Amino acid sequence: MSGTGALAANAARAERPDEAPPRRVDFGRIVSLAALLGPAVLLLGVGLVWPFLMMARMSVLDRFPDPTGLTLEFFQTVLTDPYFLRIIGRTFSLAVVVTAITAVIGYPVAWFLARSRSRWKHLVFLGVISPLMVSIIVRSIGWTIILGNEGFINALLTALGIIDTPLRLMQSFWSVVAGMVHILIPFMVLSVASVLGKIDPAYAEAAKVMGANPVRTFLKVTLPLSVQGIASGSVIVFCLTVGAYVTPVMLGRGKVTVMAMTIHEQMVVLVDWPTGAAVAMVLTFGTLVVLTLYGLFLRRHARR
Amino acid sequence: MSDISLDPPPPHAARAPASERLLNAYVVAVLLFLALPIFIVVPLAFSDDVSLSFPPHGFSLRWFANIWARPEFASAFALSAAIAVFATALSLVAGTLAAVGLVRHQFPGRDSLVTFFMTPLIFPAIVLGAAVALMLAPMGLLRSFWGLALAHTVLTFPYVLRTAVATLSEIDRALGEAAYTLGANRWKTFRHVTLPLMRPGLLAGATFALIVSFDEFTVSMFLVGPGMMTLPLEMYNYAEFSLDPTIAAISTILLIITSVAILVIEKLVGLGKQFS
Repeated sequence: MSGTGALAANAARAERPDEAPPRRVDFGRIVSLAALLGPAVLLLGVGLVWPFLMMARMSVLDRFPDPTGLTLEFFQTVLTDPYFLRIIGRTFSLAVVVTAITAVIGYPVAWFLARSRSRWKHLVFLGVISPLMVSIIVRSIGWTIILGNEGFINALLTALGIIDTPLRLMQSFWSVVAGMVHILIPFMVLSVASVLGKIDPAYAEAAKVMGANPVRTFLKVTLPLSVQGIASGSVIVFCLTVGAYVTPVMLGRGKVTVMAMTIHEQMVVLVDWPTGAAVAMVLTFGTLVVLTLYGLFLRRHARR
Repeated sequence: MSDISLDPPPPHAARAPASERLLNAYVVAVLLFLALPIFIVVPLAFSDDVSLSFPPHGFSLRWFANIWARPEFASAFALSAAIAVFATALSLVAGTLAAVGLVRHQFPGRDSLVTFFMTPLIFPAIVLGAAVALMLAPMGLLRSFWGLALAHTVLTFPYVLRTAVATLSEIDRALGEAAYTLGANRWKTFRHVTLPLMRPGLLAGATFALIVSFDEFTVSMFLVGPGMMTLPLEMYNYAEFSLDPTIAAISTILLIITSVAILVIEKLVGLGKQFS
């Protein structure tokens, strides 16, 4: 069975590792591919695609639970009512602000991870990813303790004699920003570091040899080369911020309503499923638009 | 987000020591920022105060005792652990199979399929939760183990798949070919050669899957109910009404568990190498 023929076939395959043997419809291969990929496709089909399609359908049906026809009424409400518009605006501006801040704060850390020869690098890496492993509830409670009226910052400022009455740091847009930035920095750092790590330092050296100062070298050579890392980190941070629920609820305390809270409120508290579904669709499509823009941006900056 | 090399970078001209010191100080500052909200919780767990105020006063272990006095925490912990184990196991099976299909076969639409498999990472969790609830409600599965398990498996799958694909791509095909040539069939080759080589990657992927599922809040929010609470939701509900150090005590216990888990995995496979 495993005579010279099989050996030759194997040898041929080893030479061209990415090509399956002969070029004809190979049913065995199709069956094995289906068996390998089937469970995953089934899982996402049943757990993601099908429920999403049901929700999309609900957002355009005129009545719930017994529909009589199609309507865009719920979208119209969501996209014209100032109440919803303010929430949509706040959600997306929160995401833009959080993305920008994580990029600015995270970039030097990514630089350190990619370039430093420090022996603490491994520890810094663990320090960066370990917050990902701590419960989001724990982290939000930590921020409550830091920013609260009886919290860390107010206690510190009072002890130093800087303030008499505690500052109200919670329940604001910026307290939510602080919490979100904290949660999402690791994603940005890892994305940027992985791209920075692949850039040959010789490029920067060449610029330096040609007479560019460090600032110019960074702005004209290293930064443009690492744009892909910033872009992919930004996509993750942006998407996770627009869909966030826990941090805005716990740090905003009812004062910073975002779309995720509205979806939950419409569906679970008010049991108005179609309006909730319409808000969810607006959130998904808004995210999709950002992803498309990112795809176009990457194509323009494609290095190949 | 591919691999980050922890090996020393190729030699290049040293930067001015001053700027290097500045960078080091900056990195330390960011690490402190990342650690502060986590470690500020721990001292409060031993506080004698009835509220979560800083600085803590006195010393008491009664908040730890309070956890035991409330059986809902234990049952929520058990449910979260069961869901996490179930979702991780299912993700491991589906993810390992899919990784073999994606890495070892060329077929049209492969890249689109990879993108599709990764969507749960960036898909808004709130939309996923609401949509799954919408689907399960008519089936009567809304407040059931199976509803939670399905949603969590969808969320954990990309983490397992990503590490499985990364590990499998690094394995030399010749090793499998050799076993095949020596008379092992495809299954035996996979079972005795490929799978053991993939083990570190799968272990790292499984760790992330466990943590992601155990910590999941937004999706679960739509799928739980009375008597069917996961730990993050139970903690949130408790904190809604009483912001006393009980929550800090639970957080401290969770911190210890995750720290031990991270250290064990770090020793076994090296998280730094596996996280990609």
